[in-house]
Amino acid sequence: MVIRAAMVLAVWLALVTFPQWSSAWESSRFAAGIIRQVLIFAIFASSLNLLVGYTGLPSLGHAAFFGGGAYAAAIAAQRLGTDQLFVSLGAGVIGAALLALLIGFLAVRALGIFFLMLTLALAQMVFAIAFQATDLTGGSNGFSGVHRPVLFGLDLGAASDLYVLVCAIALSVGLLLWRVTTSTYGRALVGVRENERRMRAIGYDTRTLKLSAFVLAGALAGVAGALSSYEFRFVSPNDVALGTSVTGFVMVLIGGGGTLIGPIVGAAVVLLIERVLPSQLPAQTVLGIVFIAFVVFARQGIVGAARRLARA
Amino acid sequence: MIDIRELRRDFGGIHALAGVDLRIEPGERRAVIGPNGAGKTTLFNVLTGELRPNGGSIRLDGAALTGLTTWQRARLGLVRMYQRNELFDPLSALENVLLSIGSLGGAYRPFRSPLPAERIEAEEVLARVGLADRRSVTARTLSHGERRQLELALALARQPVVLLLDEPTAGMSPAETERITALIAGLERRLTVLIVEHDMDVVFRLADRITVMHEGRAIAEGTPNEIRADRRVHDVYLGKAVEA
Repeated sequence: MVIRAAMVLAVWLALVTFPQWSSAWESSRFAAGIIRQVLIFAIFASSLNLLVGYTGLPSLGHAAFFGGGAYAAAIAAQRLGTDQLFVSLGAGVIGAALLALLIGFLAVRALGIFFLMLTLALAQMVFAIAFQATDLTGGSNGFSGVHRPVLFGLDLGAASDLYVLVCAIALSVGLLLWRVTTSTYGRALVGVRENERRMRAIGYDTRTLKLSAFVLAGALAGVAGALSSYEFRFVSPNDVALGTSVTGFVMVLIGGGGTLIGPIVGAAVVLLIERVLPSQLPAQTVLGIVFIAFVVFARQGIVGAARRLARA
Repeated sequence: MIDIRELRRDFGGIHALAGVDLRIEPGERRAVIGPNGAGKTTLFNVLTGELRPNGGSIRLDGAALTGLTTWQRARLGLVRMYQRNELFDPLSALENVLLSIGSLGGAYRPFRSPLPAERIEAEEVLARVGLADRRSVTARTLSHGERRQLELALALARQPVVLLLDEPTAGMSPAETERITALIAGLERRLTVLIVEHDMDVVFRLADRITVMHEGRAIAEGTPNEIRADRRVHDVYLGKAVEA
């Protein structure tokens, strides 16, 4: 426990100081940008993992909360005329949570494949709204010119400052998820995943459990969305589209659902394939093949396979 | 006290429960027997709220249960053991019981670790059902008999007022049957136990009173001796069990 905490802290410190100790390397700045994006998507995939991996809810509409959070952060900052971090990030989190409450309220009534189809359909409605509400979201042109945030007097406009912010928030979200998944509540979510009927028979209101997990996961996806709006200074309907939901799902499955580290590994693998692979290779095809390989040969993902190897 | 009146449940054209009346006193051990398809498991499913009745009423200590969900009934103390095991397979025996205990307190508090007291309680419950030395084994790898014991542990950990046991000895070896029968016989007397069971030795040993069901109705009720002497009961059920 103490050893694990020390290891997490060591890795995090190494990550936070990466731009400094790698500055002699010519690709240092490019690599720092990749790390930022990996961490943002790690938050997104981790939030989805709370549903897919821990609670057993196969949501295929999680982009609604990522993109919803990104739009909410950007629109709040623009309309309120402030770049304060707490305003835009807060708007992203609250906006995504409210959206998750609405969608979750309907979706948790359905089971299995019907839950999946319902989340997909409702997220597509959010996409349609983002696409058509041109005055609010910029429609198909997207919402450009998002300002990077200010923390009280501290301007986080520079890429290096944004880097520290993303690292700090990723660590906070990771600690939060660790606390939640090891609590009695987290155990109850796993109970719902394993046998929802039995959970009801021993007195759990499983619908409320599922809805609360859905809202928490949505709020954290909103955090990732707000960070994404700072990172790219741009929000587009792409952020709420099915493709983003699928990317999150693939990250969870490749990395290993139901583990804290899995989605982080999955986000790194997917983004490395998408952004770092030589441009002659078709990234989406490679990703597809990797995904199929995991579904066929290693259902537990990288982390699950590694644990099995370690035990053997 | 449980007061069941005119309870009906149809599946298509079949009257699984065709107007069941049943009154069970607090602390009573009541067995429900009858041939397959008599409606025993349906009765349990309607009592716990997993199936909706087509008519009739169920009262627990005077309060109507109609409209309450399964988990609300469990919180009132109506707790069941399943006929087919419904466990949390990848979790250890201890974690299974901890989930059941956790529902008594802060299940919805995301920042609360399981309390040490809950762990001690879970170990006590496991010891009661004879699984103390199997606490860290996953439910999946327990033997059939041990899984039945764990089923009972989950129900007991929930601190029931009324315990519904659906064929607790089904598929057990004679030694396992003996152990679980002794276990049920030794439960606190304040606990009301409703038990569905095919093993007549177990029924006659445990029950204060027996209700015989046939084709969705309670056709006879009485003490074990009265039921043994009842001709109709012999015709529909006991005769067959004795012959077999």
